[in-house]
Amino acid sequence: MEYKLNRLKTTSLIGPMVDKHWEGLRLAKQKGEKVAWCSGPLFIFPYAMNMKCHFMAGYAAYCGGRNQADRLLEIAEDDGDLPDTCSYHRLHMGMAAAVEKGIPVKEEVILPIPDLMISGRLCPEMSHYAEGLYRKMGIRVVGVDAAPPHREEDMLPMERFFERQIKENLIPALEEVCGRPFDYDRMSEILAVLKKTAELRNECWEYFKKTPSPWTLWDYGVSIAPVFYLMGNPETIPYYEKLKAELAERAEQNVGAVEPEKYRLYWDGWLPWGFLGKFIRKMAPFGAVPLVGRYPWEFFPHPERIEPYPDPVRTFVKQVYSDGGLARANLPALALPEICKWIETYSIDGLIMFSSKTCRMWNMGHPDTIDEIERRYGIPGVVIEADMVDSRMLSEAQIDTRLSALFEMIETRKKARKR
Amino acid sequence: MERILKKFFELTANPYGSLAEWKEKNKKKVIGCYPMQLPEEIIHAAGMLPVIIWRSNEPVTMGHAHIAPFNCGLTRSFVDDAVKGKLSFLDGVVFYRMCLQAQSLPFIIERNACPSYMEYLYLPALYPGASIRDYLIEEFERLKKSLEEFGGQEITVQSLNRSISVYNRNRRLLAEVYALRREKPGLIKGREMQAIVNSSMLMPKEEHNRLLEELIPELKKRSPADQKVRVVIYGGLCQTVQPEVLDLIESLGMVIVDDDMYVGSRYFANEVEASEKPVESLANRYLKKLPPCPTKGDWETDWTDYVIEIVKRNKAQGVITMLVKFCPPHLCYYPDLKRKFAEHGIPEVLIELEHEVISLEQTRTRLQSFIEIIGGV
Ligand code: SF4
Ligand code: SF4
Repeated sequence: MEYKLNRLKTTSLIGPMVDKHWEGLRLAKQKGEKVAWCSGPLFIFPYAMNMKCHFMAGYAAYCGGRNQADRLLEIAEDDGDLPDTCSYHRLHMGMAAAVEKGIPVKEEVILPIPDLMISGRLCPEMSHYAEGLYRKMGIRVVGVDAAPPHREEDMLPMERFFERQIKENLIPALEEVCGRPFDYDRMSEILAVLKKTAELRNECWEYFKKTPSPWTLWDYGVSIAPVFYLMGNPETIPYYEKLKAELAERAEQNVGAVEPEKYRLYWDGWLPWGFLGKFIRKMAPFGAVPLVGRYPWEFFPHPERIEPYPDPVRTFVKQVYSDGGLARANLPALALPEICKWIETYSIDGLIMFSSKTCRMWNMGHPDTIDEIERRYGIPGVVIEADMVDSRMLSEAQIDTRLSALFEMIETRKKARKR
Repeated sequence: MERILKKFFELTANPYGSLAEWKEKNKKKVIGCYPMQLPEEIIHAAGMLPVIIWRSNEPVTMGHAHIAPFNCGLTRSFVDDAVKGKLSFLDGVVFYRMCLQAQSLPFIIERNACPSYMEYLYLPALYPGASIRDYLIEEFERLKKSLEEFGGQEITVQSLNRSISVYNRNRRLLAEVYALRREKPGLIKGREMQAIVNSSMLMPKEEHNRLLEELIPELKKRSPADQKVRVVIYGGLCQTVQPEVLDLIESLGMVIVDDDMYVGSRYFANEVEASEKPVESLANRYLKKLPPCPTKGDWETDWTDYVIEIVKRNKAQGVITMLVKFCPPHLCYYPDLKRKFAEHGIPEVLIELEHEVISLEQTRTRLQSFIEIIGGV
């Protein structure tokens, strides 16, 4: 089928912003700045102390996007890691081994050894990576357990526990490392910028409701850093203003991101950071466009509920648990109602469950979720087994077959509905 | 002795039939517990039988439609059993979060097996700070309350202390069996030892205690097999090792002197103190850093040091890693274990335990070259 993939102009501005972030981190030590590494959603705390901070999943996406993942994974395996291990974990171990042993890798993926590692245990592997780096390099660790709940009624006790650990463990550790009191005002300022950026982001989300959609989930995926680890950076506001203007213009002229638009898709799991181009080139010829996904959608923030003042810690904690989506995004039981909502809001035709071979956070429950959605909405779905960054775990043939199967099923259902 | 061992083997080979029968006869509820750290004593004190979830002997078939192949054998096998209806005799299941598989599993089980009782605990990592202990106690209290509601029976300080004492007795007896093996390596075969511990997970502790009391004097009368190359096995998180692998180790001229396995010495490590606040005592056991458990998030206690200590104490010549395929906590730790064993000059070999296909030939080759290295035969 003749098709057109219309790229957005604004998203090209993201690369330099992201590069600047990682470069700032790389050069921090030379400038005498303190550095943290962070898993889970806690990087705002070192930011509030003017520390430079890495974010585990963000770093992995960055390596994937820069085509450096395979190289780091190879180094990790030479250093003893087994390929079934979480590839985000392996990427970090590969980078640490490269630094330790002077193995050549591209400078852009090198990180400075931190003054503090924050183990935000949203997933147990996020803890394992900090434990592994501690054993390798003896870096100071502070742990915050942050389990996602299975049921709504578990939310508040967990939120209280999370808040207590932040106040009793994380903040004192940062104060000690930085030698000064925690900067609550700065945290509020960051949240205020985040709120503004995320409000604009939400306005951009409105355009996903349009047919044809002027942008794709991939476009949002590459624009996610401003509402995530670039939070508080004032450049994030003009970025989303520009993005919104471009989307408005496209919507006005009825220009779709994929033309002609035929199938509107939900995407579950990590975005395939190393292979975004590959996947969209496989979907677009069918007129298929990924629009909404559990990971990029429901990780905080929910700007309408952010209250930067007077208690930034409280509002943050609620963003993660009761007021936000992060705690609801991770486990299939609480994610299911959200998926249903998106199917209705964005007129979804089919589901792709991206099952990461090395991330068991995002591969459990996929077939049952498909089954449940099919039962409720008559919408089909397929599972694609691959990995977010490890190219050896990607099978072109499997992707092609599963995608064709999905589009055939959608067609059959559509015909049946017409009859 | 043979009669008791036979009973253990039968139970561990086919827990389904025995448990269903037990339940029918005793008119009590049976609760499946996901390994490795749940406080079974609370369930016992609620008048129910806690059993540790096991890996079946069958390859996964129907379960494939519900769980991806790159998850550990225990999880896939449990899902398979659940969707096949093989676990219908379980009145309930208790899970907790120690790895990603265990974290997301309840959704699948709830949808496909609908046990009448299902509880999920968020047992915290062993991070420093008082909040961890307080939250842990809250979680154990929550379990206690929900079991009281489900079973309609109050769990008193006395009843919980009674259960604790039954469990402690079992721990002591199992420790005695282990001491015998350490003293006279070869006295108890690897597969026997595994069945002895595994059966404790699958039958009332009172009965297991009685059987062990009978068994221990008999074991003492046995004479050990010839002295061979002494090895320690460690790992095997949550699950049993195929007995054939244990046989293979022995048939190649090695003797397992000790282990650091979950279905092994980890299961009975650390007694619980009887006290006025038994729930807190149970929490104290969970908070113990030894034996180090890679699922507990403790970055300071080094698991390798612990295993090396076992190796040295037993004058073992090498260590065999039993790594459950697709088990993240062990996978993430393995490179450091391997490196440190090498630094200490301790020969190590990796055996990956797969649920379905265990290529014994490949395992044999690995073990053969291992024994050549450690200079056995
Ligand atoms: S297992 Fe998944 S969620 Fe956990 S650290 Fe790895 S990639 Fe992240
Ligand atoms: S064997 Fe490993 S992966 Fe499987 S349930 Fe246990 S800890 Fe989790």
